[in-house]
Amino acid sequence: MDIPKDLVAASATPIILAILRQGDSYGYAIIRQVREVSGDRILWTDGMLYPVLHRLEAAGFVKSTWQTADTGRRRKYYRITRQGEEELGRLREQWDVVHDALQRLAGPGNTGA
Amino acid sequence: MFDLESQIRKWRRHIQSAGSLDAQHLEELESHLRDSIDELTGRGISVEEAFLVSIHRMGDAEELNHEFAKVPTESVWKQLLVPAADEEARRKQRTEIAVIIALAVLGGLLGKIPSLFGHLLTEESALIYAKNAAFFALPPVAIYLIWRRALSLRFMVVGAVVFAALVLVVNIYPSYEPHHTEVLSLLHAPIVLLLVLLVLYCGRDWHNPALRLDFVRFAGEVFIYAVLLFLGGMVLVGVAGGVFSLVGIDIEHLILNWMFIFGGCGLVVVAAYLVEKKKGAIETIAPVLARIFTPLFAVLMLVLILAIAVAGQAPSEDRELLIMFDIVLALVLGLVLFTMSARDAEKPADWWDWIVMALVALALVADVIALSGIVGRLLAFGFTANKTAALGMNILLAANLVTLAVGYSRFLSGRSTYQTVVDWTMWYLPLHAGWAAFVVIAFPPLFGFV
Repeated sequence: MDIPKDLVAASATPIILAILRQGDSYGYAIIRQVREVSGDRILWTDGMLYPVLHRLEAAGFVKSTWQTADTGRRRKYYRITRQGEEELGRLREQWDVVHDALQRLAGPGNTGA
Repeated sequence: MFDLESQIRKWRRHIQSAGSLDAQHLEELESHLRDSIDELTGRGISVEEAFLVSIHRMGDAEELNHEFAKVPTESVWKQLLVPAADEEARRKQRTEIAVIIALAVLGGLLGKIPSLFGHLLTEESALIYAKNAAFFALPPVAIYLIWRRALSLRFMVVGAVVFAALVLVVNIYPSYEPHHTEVLSLLHAPIVLLLVLLVLYCGRDWHNPALRLDFVRFAGEVFIYAVLLFLGGMVLVGVAGGVFSLVGIDIEHLILNWMFIFGGCGLVVVAAYLVEKKKGAIETIAPVLARIFTPLFAVLMLVLILAIAVAGQAPSEDRELLIMFDIVLALVLGLVLFTMSARDAEKPADWWDWIVMALVALALVADVIALSGIVGRLLAFGFTANKTAALGMNILLAANLVTLAVGYSRFLSGRSTYQTVVDWTMWYLPLHAGWAAFVVIAFPPLFGFV
């Protein structure tokens, strides 16, 4: 199942913030986690994650620091801020509203009757 | 054999070429790409295939750049002075900015030396300032390069000796009306100094053509940055002058002898710093500029040649025309070198190289016309300093253009690689400086200091 572009764009922020709430992470690990958690059904263009992360940083929802991994490779780690957690809560509620409405209209037991 | 490192470099350059990513973005993306390649090869996929899959997943360069450009606070220019990521890099950057400010001030102070001898910047003393301008503005650049490259004492001594020797020669030689040899050393001394900067830029490995070519790029971009800074400074000076004259205070002296000298002498080292620090931003401008101006200059050369053919005017009759010819030819050579530095040597020949080839061929025709004109004047009027200098420069240029033409035609016909053209041209560079040094040092005594 392909998720259309608009839906991917709309859901990227809450998904990224949710992943970061579980702990600091870097771009590649975030992409991998999204893939795993969605059973390979949410596929992002890898590069597109970064502009989103940078926008989140500019908005104050995440903070980044460069760290050097054991392999010597430098990685930019992202950490969620308090503001970011609040934003995640807001987005969560919005998605719940949409989800609820869909459930009631087209959920199980409501098959168009 | 698949070379991962060179492929990653190419990919980086490709992503960078659209322009809205800075060094940190690129590093982050590259780190991601390498993670992805590692994971895929860990599953037993070949490096080449892993690379292809990974760049595919990364996405289209243009779209990426478009997205990056939307991030508002990440504008390329602002990035320059935003503190670097970690503490050590930040400290280094602070030191570097302090060094640059100090060196810019040093340039300005050097520029004030003539006033110690009672020469304020006026019309009469303009020549004194003009012939020393390079000695004010370039030593800070030399010191910056020595500092940045942590060069050994040997380089410092050689650099200092050449600078000092030229300053002495240029200022101690007598000069009599009409000051031709003095003007010639004014024009040629900077070329010698450029060779010194080349050696300092490349360091121990200054014979390496790739490094020399990198210096050509550096010099070209410093020039572009310096012009931009200069234009900005002129606007500032103009506004300042306007405002003060409105309130009835004449600050012309202040502008000319302080703002102009400090600004002019300091801005070159600032430009050098910007080019060194900010390779990303301008690297995308350089090839564009080269592409815009190469065809325009080719047309200009063609029109020049046609105009002379139609007008039937031999350039030997007109001194001014010959000088213009030489200036255009020098510009063409600079442009071809700059184009070369912006080109990927591994890329196969395309239509673009034909345009450069056409420009070189046209320049060669123009140079032959100029040479015949100079020889005509030499026969008619005998050897003077100006004509001899022009003769030498045109012969050097002609030989350089011939090497370029032969190199390009061999490359375009598939008989040699582009690297050969680069190697030949880079080998040739010091000859220009050698001739320039000869003009500065030997011409005044040879022609009786007139």
